Formats: sequence, structure tokens, C-alpha cells
Amino acid sequence: MSALDLSLREQAAAIARGDTDPAELLDEALARIEQRNPAINAVVETFPERSGEMLAAAPKGPLHGVPLVVKDEWPLPWRAQRFGAAELLAPTAPAESGPYRALRDAGATIVGVGNMHELGAGSTGNTSVYGPARNPWNTERCPGGSSSGPAAAVAARLVAGAVGADGLGSVRFPAAYCGLTGLKPTFGRSAMAGHHMAAITSLIVSGPLCADAADCRLLGSALFDESLAAGDASGLRIGVIRDPVSEDVDPEVRKACEAAIEDLRGETGGEVREVSLPDLPVATLAAILLINAESLNGATPERLNRLHPEISPIARGFIKYRALLPAAAIVQSARIRTMMRRRLAALFADVDVLAWPTVPAVAPPLESPMVELPSGTHTADQANVRGAALANLTGIPSISVPVGLSSEQLPIALQLGAAWGRDELLLDAAEALERANGRRWVEALSPLAPTETETAGA
Amino acid sequence: MEVSERAEEFIPAGLASLGIEADEVELAVMNAAHGMFWPAILDLLSLDTSGVEPERQPDLSKAPR
Repeated sequence: MSALDLSLREQAAAIARGDTDPAELLDEALARIEQRNPAINAVVETFPERSGEMLAAAPKGPLHGVPLVVKDEWPLPWRAQRFGAAELLAPTAPAESGPYRALRDAGATIVGVGNMHELGAGSTGNTSVYGPARNPWNTERCPGGSSSGPAAAVAARLVAGAVGADGLGSVRFPAAYCGLTGLKPTFGRSAMAGHHMAAITSLIVSGPLCADAADCRLLGSALFDESLAAGDASGLRIGVIRDPVSEDVDPEVRKACEAAIEDLRGETGGEVREVSLPDLPVATLAAILLINAESLNGATPERLNRLHPEISPIARGFIKYRALLPAAAIVQSARIRTMMRRRLAALFADVDVLAWPTVPAVAPPLESPMVELPSGTHTADQANVRGAALANLTGIPSISVPVGLSSEQLPIALQLGAAWGRDELLLDAAEALERANGRRWVEALSPLAPTETETAGA
Repeated sequence: MEVSERAEEFIPAGLASLGIEADEVELAVMNAAHGMFWPAILDLLSLDTSGVEPERQPDLSKAPR
């Protein structure tokens, strides 16, 4: 078995013990990217010399020598981010982004840049200047977006961990579609420096994508620059709501998520409470309007008139439509944000976590990313965002955890949200859920992940 | 007047007033976006939030004060 097939924490431990040579591990990661990436287009650039230099200078930190992928949303000292697009409205340049510094200081090696949905503006990953990333569970299906490449890279076990970014669900969607654990941290808790919207965004955060919660805890600790200590989720009070986010859901997804909630309750000796959270649809729209308004940074009419011709027509149309959004709706969105923050603060006095499916249906086809729900046919973007935007609007942390496979052998995921600063509780709860189901779903391997036979022959 | 009809006026007029040019494909995308978002935006604007006291310089990393 290759050390590359170990979990992130096991890789780090093997290197620390001297059982694994990090230079060999880096070479293995590069070889595996060369071997497997053509099928999934998850990694859009490698830079072996830079990775080698990073490893040579790496401190003996908690991630010493571990190869990782970062989303094309984060600048590196040798590479400006492209945001999955032909160009950005804001100028970009190579730089030491916050996630780069966090990984460097923890001793990690950045082995490649992960693909992403063009301009971060989609939950599927089916549009990118690099071409779409593909889902390792079924390469004709969407990997999820916008952190499509980081998720696909981990699900295919090119690396054991990756750094994404989440502005309206962009860590959680690909985690759900690819069968991974993905954490959207509390706003402001994880590294953001160097992001081209860092100074103006009130929604975007960096976040880890890994196979399981313990690996997210390790990578998240680097991104947070603080130890995300393991705690106790005993007596967990789980809030569920009667709302389309939990009820207008594919029957297989609903069944798996309801079973997972019951498993979590049983494992923690907790309780399930039905709670009320009105106006979720309008809160979702408020988040969409706010991030679209923030995305206009640098968008003068003159600039909008000379968009790069290789930006997709859909993106060009949406970018220009943003300029027509009424100011009154943006102001109203800010008031709705306050309203929802206060409602959540009150709600989290009664429950520890809120639970509903991360996405209402499994990964749709790349060629036609539509989903069938009890309410009818929807675009995946429309269906997905309604369960994710609340966390970005209000700043609370949220995690996506794999809880099953559909009859088509595609991952199903449950989302848990908690009060501000309780990221650690979400990791504790995710680990409790893993224990409850015997780690069956976090250890499930996609067809593109390495097998023992292939590894032995490698 | 339907949203689609209003879009025929609103989008070209809005773009023209801002000096933003758009080709036919971009206009088609904008019309589709308008049809999708505008009714919901009107619902959002009509929500009574008069009782919501705004947060002053909200710290999104923490619960509201």
C-alpha cells in the first residue's frame, strides 16, 4: 500500500515517525496525478520544482511533507489565481495567500492547483476555463462546485486533503457530490488573506476538504492557525425543520439523511427537536444578492464592456445583470441577514446543531445538471443553494458529511450547522456519526480511487 | 405586465443608462436571470423588516449583539 493511500493524519504521522520519505511521497503524488487526473481534470497545474522547494524548506509542522491541493481561488507566490475563468474583474498577481502561508507554516507541500467552477458561480463544476472537472464516482457526473477540483482530487485519492473556498456552499456541495467531509468555517476564522475579495466579502471563507472529520480537523487547524481540539458531542440536541430543504428532497437522499440523524442521536445519546426557521427562501436570496453585489468590485461600465471573450456567455450575462440589481434589495438583504442571525442565535439556545441534506439530490449529469425533486425539475444550482446559503449569510459554521450511497452508487450527504465559533462541535458530531455507521461512508472509495492491486503494481 | 415583458424594457434601458453593452446571447442570459430572480426580489423587497433593528458593524464571526 502506498503512503498516498493513507489518511491525511496517517501520512503526517508516518512522515513524522520516519516511516515515509516525504520526497518519495511527493513523487508518488505527482505520478498519481499524471496517471489519474486525465479522467477527472481535477488538477489544472502542477509545479514539481516549486513543490520540491517547498518541501526542502518545510518546517517540522503538523503537516510536514504532506502533499495537498489548493483551489484555483488562492494565489501562490509563483502563480496568480485564475478563479476558473479566462480573467477576473479584479486584478490578480502571484502572492502569499493566507492558505498558502498556513500550509507552508504547517510544513505541507502544495502539489497542484485544483480546478473550479468558473468565477465560483456554480454548484456543479461543469463550467471552467480549464474544462469541467469530473466526479470520480462517475466521470459523467458533476463533481460539485465551485471547489470542484479539490474535491475530485481527494475523492480520487490524488491527495488526502485540499483547500477550497465557500461563498454559497462551494466547499459543501463538492464534498457532498464526491463523498467527502467538507467544513465551511465560521466567518473570519480561517485564512483569507490574499483572496481577491478578502477586503470586501462578508460571505466567503477558506475550508478543508478531506475524507473524514479527523482529517478536516487537522487541515482546518492549519487554516485556522489554532488547534481544533476534539471534544464530546454527548447529549447532542439536533434541530430539524419542516421546510423544502429537508422535505423537497429526492426520496433516497431523504431516507439516508433521516437515518443518519437518528444514528447521530443514538450515538450521542442526544435528542431530535423539530424547530422553526421561517423565511429561509428569502434568506437564500439575500445571500445570493449580497455575494453578487460584492462580486461587482472593480466592475465599471467600461470594464464590463471589455470582458474577455473566453468568459462563458452565461457568466458574461450574469456579470452584467449584477449591475442592474436594485440598491434597495441589497439594503433589504442586509436587514434580512440581521433578522436571520438573531433567529439563529435564539434557536441555538435550544439546539446544538441544525441538520438537513447538504444537497437535495445526488450529483447530476455534467451535460445537463438538472435534478428531479418532489416539486419538479430544477437546475442543480437552484436546488442546492437553498440549503447552503444560510451559513454564509449569517456567518455560522457548517459541515457536510457523507451518509450513504444512492442506488446509482453516488454519494449522499448530511449537513450540520452550529452556532458561531462551534466549528469543533461540528467536527465532534461528524466523528460521532462516523462511529455510528462504522465509518462505512467515509471509507467508501470511488471507482477512481486506488485499489490495492493497482497500488501494488505502481 | 409579465416579468418577461418588463425585462424587455428594464434590461436594455438599464444597461443603456449605465453605458453597458451586451450582445444577443448576453441579453438572453440576462432575460433568463431576470425571469428567475425578479419575482423573488420583489418578494424580498415586500418583506416587512421595519422591526429589525440593524446591527451596527456586524461581526459575522460572532452571534449578534
